Amino acid sequence: MTPLLQNHRSPVQRAPMVSFTFEGEALSAHAGETVLSALIRAVHLYLRDAPEDGAARGAFCCMGLCQECLVLVEGRRVESCRQVVHDGLAVEALKRVPHD
Amino acid sequence: MTDSYDIAVIGGGIMGCSTALRLAEGGMWPIVLDQGDLGQGASGVNAGTLSLQIKRVKLMPYALRGHRAWEAMGDAIGFRKTGGYTLAFTDGEAELLQERQTLKSEAGAPIEFVTRKALREAAPNLSHKIIAASYCAADGYANSSLTGQYYRGRLRDAGIAYRERCGAMAVRREAGRFAVETPAGTMHARRLLLAAGAWLKPVAAFLGVELPVRVRINTVSVTERMPPLIHHIVGHATGLLTMKQKPNGTVLIGGGWQGRGTPQEGRGEVTAETVAPNLALAQFALTPLKEARILRSWTGFEANVPDFYPLAGPLPGIEDAFVLGCVRGGYTIGPFIGSLMGDLILGREPELPLFDPGRDFDED
Amino acid sequence: MIDPCDIVILGAGPAGANASLSAARAGARVTLLDEQTQPGGQIWRAKSAAIIKAQPTPESDAGNTLRDCLANSAVTFVGDVRVWQIERTGDIWQVYTVADGQPGKIEAKALILATGAREYVQPIPGWTTPGVIGLAGATALLKHDMTPPGVATVVAGTGPLVFFTASEIRRLGGHVAAIVTPNTRRDWLSVMPAMLSRPDLVRRGLAWIANLTLARVPVLWGHAITRVEGARAVNGVVATKLDASGAPKGKKREIAADSVCLGNGLIPAVEAAQLAGADLRYHPELGGWVPGAMTDGSTKIKGLYICGDGAGIRGAAAAEIQGKLAGMVAANQLGFDLAPDFEALKSAHARAARFGLAMTALSLQKPGDQALTTPETILCRCESLSLARITAEIAKGAESINAIKSGTRAGMGACGGKFCHTAVARMMAASQGVDPADIPPPTARPPLRPVPASVFAEGFDYDDLPISKPAPL
Repeated sequence: MTPLLQNHRSPVQRAPMVSFTFEGEALSAHAGETVLSALIRAVHLYLRDAPEDGAARGAFCCMGLCQECLVLVEGRRVESCRQVVHDGLAVEALKRVPHD
Repeated sequence: MTDSYDIAVIGGGIMGCSTALRLAEGGMWPIVLDQGDLGQGASGVNAGTLSLQIKRVKLMPYALRGHRAWEAMGDAIGFRKTGGYTLAFTDGEAELLQERQTLKSEAGAPIEFVTRKALREAAPNLSHKIIAASYCAADGYANSSLTGQYYRGRLRDAGIAYRERCGAMAVRREAGRFAVETPAGTMHARRLLLAAGAWLKPVAAFLGVELPVRVRINTVSVTERMPPLIHHIVGHATGLLTMKQKPNGTVLIGGGWQGRGTPQEGRGEVTAETVAPNLALAQFALTPLKEARILRSWTGFEANVPDFYPLAGPLPGIEDAFVLGCVRGGYTIGPFIGSLMGDLILGREPELPLFDPGRDFDED
Repeated sequence: MIDPCDIVILGAGPAGANASLSAARAGARVTLLDEQTQPGGQIWRAKSAAIIKAQPTPESDAGNTLRDCLANSAVTFVGDVRVWQIERTGDIWQVYTVADGQPGKIEAKALILATGAREYVQPIPGWTTPGVIGLAGATALLKHDMTPPGVATVVAGTGPLVFFTASEIRRLGGHVAAIVTPNTRRDWLSVMPAMLSRPDLVRRGLAWIANLTLARVPVLWGHAITRVEGARAVNGVVATKLDASGAPKGKKREIAADSVCLGNGLIPAVEAAQLAGADLRYHPELGGWVPGAMTDGSTKIKGLYICGDGAGIRGAAAAEIQGKLAGMVAANQLGFDLAPDFEALKSAHARAARFGLAMTALSLQKPGDQALTTPETILCRCESLSLARITAEIAKGAESINAIKSGTRAGMGACGGKFCHTAVARMMAASQGVDPADIPPPTARPPLRPVPASVFAEGFDYDDLPISKPAPL
């Protein structure tokens, strides 16, 4: 993956990279950063479809309230803005279940 | 707008609204008063279960007709006839189930006992620890949240006056009619129907009548949207669990676990000590529920009297005043018993007998 | 069962952390809880473990100082814990928690709520598009992960946060396509007198603006974003000049961007206070509905104290003082000596609040705000409900937030109404000509945050179920 963002002008020393997957795609992240941060840097802003109208959604409040950035980790629904990346973490997008 | 009506209905839940609708059909001019919004008491916060398996034997004819009323309301109220299972996990529960459901079946509910194999095929996500289950094809649910919206629409269509956030602060009998004091002024009516649910006792006390009304504080919880887990409604032989998955994927969990609070203080409160085993039992019965997150828990007041039969008839000692409430299974039976109540007030013979509020209440 | 501690505090931002320090200094046994890993709240939010070294900022310095103080104090800090329920039995509070999938319960003689604020965002067409995040949300991302929200960002909203956010995005290497703020330079002039109480912050603000100007970042004063373009990703925004009422009436401008930060000020997070039984009153100058609390945080309820932005948006400096006061008075009520500087601090609170209140004033709603939300705009994000759907429910007779909620599910979704009920209430107030003070927020219900059902199954034994008397046949 090539980060689209340039190196930070203000020098920031970050933890070594680890690997994780989103929907099976291999991505890298600095150990200890949030899944949301890693996904944003990989330009994965679209995280799921709204359950009612199927419209695309991504993170919104970034502080664990709005539930827009939910993803699945080991079958559990977690807020990607609160879930920390560790090596080998497998993150899946929530699947929309249309109803009548 | 006039302030004099044929009848003032205190309480805009299912009981009050369905009675008002029948009264208007019969030519009366009612006003419905509610201290909050229409249908926001027990009518709007209960779990929406429409199950014949949890109805009292003697009330079965009412429940069967109530079911028909809900079916007729259909989509407007989120009605779904899914069929329902009642589960037993121990020998004691299985015995209880056998004994009670047999009597309910004899009373006319289409209840059958199902094998574990049949249950597992029909509802594969239910626990494998179930040792016995009964099934009723007539069971289902409606969306209680829509009660207010539904009846508001019906009252408006019928041209029936209603006032929300307009609770009775005092009721007097004067010059052959009733004066109801409300925040919006004094309303006058020739007759009075008390249909105030958990608030019946203080309302009847305005007229010096002591009703032996007690209140249960039932807890209901809901999960986030889940993939399809269960099609049928689910109950438990002891009554400690009700469960259903709504079309949007959320799972509604009840079972009569008690919160705390009193109607006089406003709403009841959820207590962690009772909601936790309620939710634990739910995932014990429906295993994949452990993956769900709980979004909300709340309580609703369920009124009853010592013999657990309805108060439905004239208010003792007060001419032209009536009371309707404390109906066990009131959500299911409400729309039907409301029309019976309307007939009684209109001076017609109700299709089924009502329940004299002046009877002796035997604690046992 | 562990003995009840003296004081449990929810929220380790400037208010809660300072409350814990002053109460502990008085001798009380204090437990301080926060859903973040480290203390600091949103304003002094600690960096993630992924940041090993970075240039300090005033926020990171303040946060580090606070974290050092806590580490060297007797306060028991518990991070990564979420409170889902608050109850009270006799004089003892029970605070129910979830941490790492496990249930917990903390008992205390006094409860201090320092739950801070969340963001209000006026709904606009396209605000649900991936790439649009809250303005305060952006600051969380910038402070915690030091990640800009995208490659080219439009930073839009009221108050000083747009300039802070834009500056931080640039400092971290991001590109700011434009700043769009409904505030005018005149709005800023009107709050200048109050701002002069904090020359340090004024200097910082001026430095941000000077820097952004030098970098030729367009600043659209008196404008709002009226549309976010793009369906699955942001392509750009339309910004429109506002008239004096705040309604979009003037020239439109298209700005290309892949990300947007959007915010219209802060509102106090009052759900925990509601669960604890506090009464709410409407104070637009404090951000809307606030629990009744005195300068020292005390409330009508014995043993309940509320401080910081959760008691009204007055800013960090006031929150620190109110937190200290709440800690002191809570400890004092439990029999510990009152700190000698109590009265002096109390009289310092109003002055400390001046700056924060002036910033809150920049986000006061204007009558024209409602025109930003078109009928097709999604109001309730969780349930994808448009303004038109809500208006239709009102036309059918729904007269309250609770009635709208029941009829439409607005607020019944996963966020619990945190991002729609204020918008619905403001819309109702504007369209029905009702005083917002007459539209109380919906009843708060536990859990305060979504709780995994499995948490409740911990320690469940089927055989322990109460054998209730069977229901009457």
